Amino acid sequence: MAADAGDSSFSSSSMEKQFGGFLQQLEQSGNLRDKIRAVAAEIESSTRVMHSCLLLVHESRPIPEVAAKAEAQIEVMKGLYGRLAEILRECPGQYYRYHGDWRTETQTAISMIAFLHWLQMGNLLVHSEVEQKLGLDSSEFGLDIEDYLIGICFMSNELPRYVVNQVTAGDYDCPRKVLAFLTDLHASFRILNLRNDFLRKKFDGMKYDLRRVEEVYYDVKIRGLAPIGDSTATKGPKHKHG
Amino acid sequence: MKTSLGKSTVAAEAHLLSNPTKKSRRMSTSAAAMSATFDKYAHYLNTLNDKRERVVKASRDITINSKKVIFQVHRISKYNRDEVLEKAEKDLAAVTDQHLSRLVKELQGTDFWKLRRAYSPGVQEYVEAATLYEFCKTGKLLNLEAINASLLPLSDPSFEPLQINILDYVLGVADLTGELMRLAIGRISDGELEYAETICRFVREIYRKLTLVVPIMDENYEMKKKMDTMLQSVVKIENACFSVHVRGSEYIPLLGCSDPNFSFLGAQELEL
Repeated sequence: MAADAGDSSFSSSSMEKQFGGFLQQLEQSGNLRDKIRAVAAEIESSTRVMHSCLLLVHESRPIPEVAAKAEAQIEVMKGLYGRLAEILRECPGQYYRYHGDWRTETQTAISMIAFLHWLQMGNLLVHSEVEQKLGLDSSEFGLDIEDYLIGICFMSNELPRYVVNQVTAGDYDCPRKVLAFLTDLHASFRILNLRNDFLRKKFDGMKYDLRRVEEVYYDVKIRGLAPIGDSTATKGPKHKHG
Repeated sequence: MKTSLGKSTVAAEAHLLSNPTKKSRRMSTSAAAMSATFDKYAHYLNTLNDKRERVVKASRDITINSKKVIFQVHRISKYNRDEVLEKAEKDLAAVTDQHLSRLVKELQGTDFWKLRRAYSPGVQEYVEAATLYEFCKTGKLLNLEAINASLLPLSDPSFEPLQINILDYVLGVADLTGELMRLAIGRISDGELEYAETICRFVREIYRKLTLVVPIMDENYEMKKKMDTMLQSVVKIENACFSVHVRGSEYIPLLGCSDPNFSFLGAQELEL
């Protein structure tokens, strides 16, 4: 059969043009992805530095001292997210095409920023505040709410260890505070109708953090170590198992 | 991204926390503030999930009905070509008007990549049906540009129109080659050897073009598997053409016969 002659009739004209165009466009988006990944890698290394700073709280270093170093990393991240937003400006409406390239790094970053905020303020850092801290603008490059929620779940994983070490260092009121916070957080998460996805899995893990903190609280209280007047006034009836 | 959420509650909460004399009130207030902000997240997630469900349903309907178009095209033979294609064209137009339009309405004004996983299967099947029909009608590959142009009338002009992306188009074209393989084998059994050879060259050319495109596609795991399948399809058509070519002398006299029997072509080896 005259295959060669036939080939040329197909490959000329529009088919050639179309696939040539595809190659070009895919190469462009590949380059863009490389740029995004380079920034995401920098975000990741910044989160690692921040993590190592935050680990000092387990050694009972004063929070302001820990926070000073960690906060410097938030500024670094802010700059990096600014660069990411700038790269994404080249392709409006394609945020979610490349979302996977900065997702995990962002979730880790959120968990640490929220943990630091909790250490300083004792309350939950909400979505819009994270956006503010990282200089994100929800109209062009915002923070995905599911990423935020996953980051918060990661933060909850840090709390049991923190409580254990605080008690060892002699802070017997800490379990009560953490338990109150985590109980509220867990109750708030139960407002959400989750799908059977990653966020759901992470949320399911939160109850083990809650249980561990409850155990520590129990251990401290039953031995009469917890400051008594304070705990009965604020806790007790609200306490429910997850 | 439309995820702006209020922050007034948080400021109030922080203020209360910094005031140690209001401890008992603090607890209930902070819990209330937290659940109030989570109500907003819940609303966001509910809206998104409902939308996703509707998109999945539309995608499924597109798939089912596109498959019907494909089956219709396969009913083609030497004698009924025009009438079969006419019905296929109508069916395809119905998929566009009734089901693809739902997808367009659902997605307009949003980032088309956010829910891509939910609608990608339907869009691929639609590309497959549209390109198969076009090949039978004109012998050409329907361009992405042409498909996207046909989607324009479906969308509200005040929004960015939904356009099928390169990835879904290429994935659909990869599936098209499987259908063309079936079509080629069917044509050979019907004695339309030349048409089968035309299909063979066409599929080869698609395969050749895609070997360059696939390695640089976004998430190309699925596509790499399809490339293997595609090569198998090409080889199946080539082998069928080969069988006819080599053993041609044995059956050509039968071509004029009203009841041709080509079981000796080795159809059972083709695993249809």
